Amino acid sequence: MVEPKSSKLLGTLLLNICVALGGIIMAWPIVWMVSASFKRLSEIYTFPPTLIPKTFTFANYQRLFTDWPFGRWYTNSLVIAILITLAVLFFTSLAGFGFAKYKFRGRQPMFLVMLGSTMIPFELILIPLFILMSRLGWTNSYASLIIPFMAPALGIFLMRQYISTLPSELMEAARIDGATEFGIYWRIMLPLMRPALAAQAVLTFLGSWNSYLWPLTVLRNRESMTLPIGTVSMMGSITAGSEPPVGASMAAATLITIPVIIVFLMVQRYYISGLTAAGVKE
Amino acid sequence: MATSNEARAYTMRPSRGTLRQDRYAPYFFISPFFILFTTFFLLPSLFAIGISLYKWKALGVPEFFGVRNFERLFTGDPIFWQAVRNTVFYAASSLFVVAPLALLEALALNSKRLRLRTFWRAIYFAPIVTSTAAIAIVFRMLYNREFGFLNELIMALGGVPVDWLGDRGVVKFSVMGVVLWRWTGLLAVYFLAGLQSIPDELYEAAAIDGASQPQRFFYITLPSLRPVMLFVAVIVVIGSIQIFDDPQILTEGGPANASLSVVQYLYTRGISDLLYGYASAVGVFLFVVIFTLSMLQLRLFRGGER
Repeated sequence: MVEPKSSKLLGTLLLNICVALGGIIMAWPIVWMVSASFKRLSEIYTFPPTLIPKTFTFANYQRLFTDWPFGRWYTNSLVIAILITLAVLFFTSLAGFGFAKYKFRGRQPMFLVMLGSTMIPFELILIPLFILMSRLGWTNSYASLIIPFMAPALGIFLMRQYISTLPSELMEAARIDGATEFGIYWRIMLPLMRPALAAQAVLTFLGSWNSYLWPLTVLRNRESMTLPIGTVSMMGSITAGSEPPVGASMAAATLITIPVIIVFLMVQRYYISGLTAAGVKE
Repeated sequence: MATSNEARAYTMRPSRGTLRQDRYAPYFFISPFFILFTTFFLLPSLFAIGISLYKWKALGVPEFFGVRNFERLFTGDPIFWQAVRNTVFYAASSLFVVAPLALLEALALNSKRLRLRTFWRAIYFAPIVTSTAAIAIVFRMLYNREFGFLNELIMALGGVPVDWLGDRGVVKFSVMGVVLWRWTGLLAVYFLAGLQSIPDELYEAAAIDGASQPQRFFYITLPSLRPVMLFVAVIVVIGSIQIFDDPQILTEGGPANASLSVVQYLYTRGISDLLYGYASAVGVFLFVVIFTLSMLQLRLFRGGER
């Protein structure tokens, strides 16, 4: 209000230019990736790069399924992400409900133990968990990627925070009608948790879809790999001379990334609210 | 209110059967967490601390080693220290470069003077959901010494091409480039949430009192963002101490360990070389560092609340 008009206009112009330039830099790797995935090798390396391929080819995508078990990797990643998401939704909402709506002996200390467990970095248990998985014969299996991670403490904390805000009166009424405690959870509370469940689902699915360190540790045979592990393995070991399959790996990267971005844009609202709920603890 | 309702519910149980159920139900509800936590996190943690005191290679027999793993780690292992230095570099540049840039980004994306706000937000936030692996592979191509887009661009502008992933002095910056690309959006989301929670009345009151734009920024915006800044600082530092994916996929820690992070070092020693005891000592070291930082965070937040 107090500023002169011309300097305000200049500031607005500068702001828009900077954001646009930054936006181009942010978008460029993704645009380049998609574009390169439809190009022949010679065109990938032309400079200045073409945005729309001059000779459009699907060969990179076809190669993925003939030269590598890419379909298998996709199935693995998808099945694991879906199973773990379902399990996490069930166990975190159940435990969050238990912590939020019941008074019981030992609640406070148990809640603190649960919260405290988030301070254990995964790297501390990487070796023991790897040994345990080997002893159980779970390496190269879905179980190793799902079972240990079905009830994350942070997820329970988030669910508890949300469930605390839900009214308890309905529970009481249901109890008088003879509902079991699990029935109250399943039929009354669960439908009310929808926004929190949605946020939790998106975070869990993405976490599983993109996870790298643990799958790299326990998945050794080619058939059992998830998408990130498989795709990186396509590049082979890093040697100065040999050139990795550029087009095919860009096709793989596109197939890993694009579906996730589309889903994300559809549920962006839940995702952002989940992130900020995780961040700004009260 | 809620408490009295709950209390009433407990006294108004219709039958003895439900009474029993009532009392044990919450334990059933939280038991899956405690079973999984004990089996897959607590016992393995204790086991990790235990075997860090043993010399144990793969299928061999563990041999009690006392604190000699730690002694070797701290006094006789230059690669470990290299990894620590690299990791400190990652953490420091995330804290002092990536986080401030994210704040700037959030301010820009929150400005009412920005056109196409929703569109730009979608662009800037997209990296949050991209897979690290996919993006690291893309950057590997962009960084390629001979044909990579970056060097082509530099040469087109008349510059000297850079060996982004092969030069020991440059490689850490290249890794940070990817981290910057991937993290600013996520951090900006937090800052944006913080910015949007500042009540408009504060700005209006300040404007009436004749505060200039910079004054409003320094006396209202920044102080209001303090809790978010603390939170971001903590997750950035803890997150970059645990960095693994980016340097692993870009360079596998090379050349000559110039980009090796502590977690990569743990992985190499434990999973590739199968030195279980020694790698667990690295794990215990990481645990102590992260635990200390988490405690510090708690104290800071308490302090912030007054």
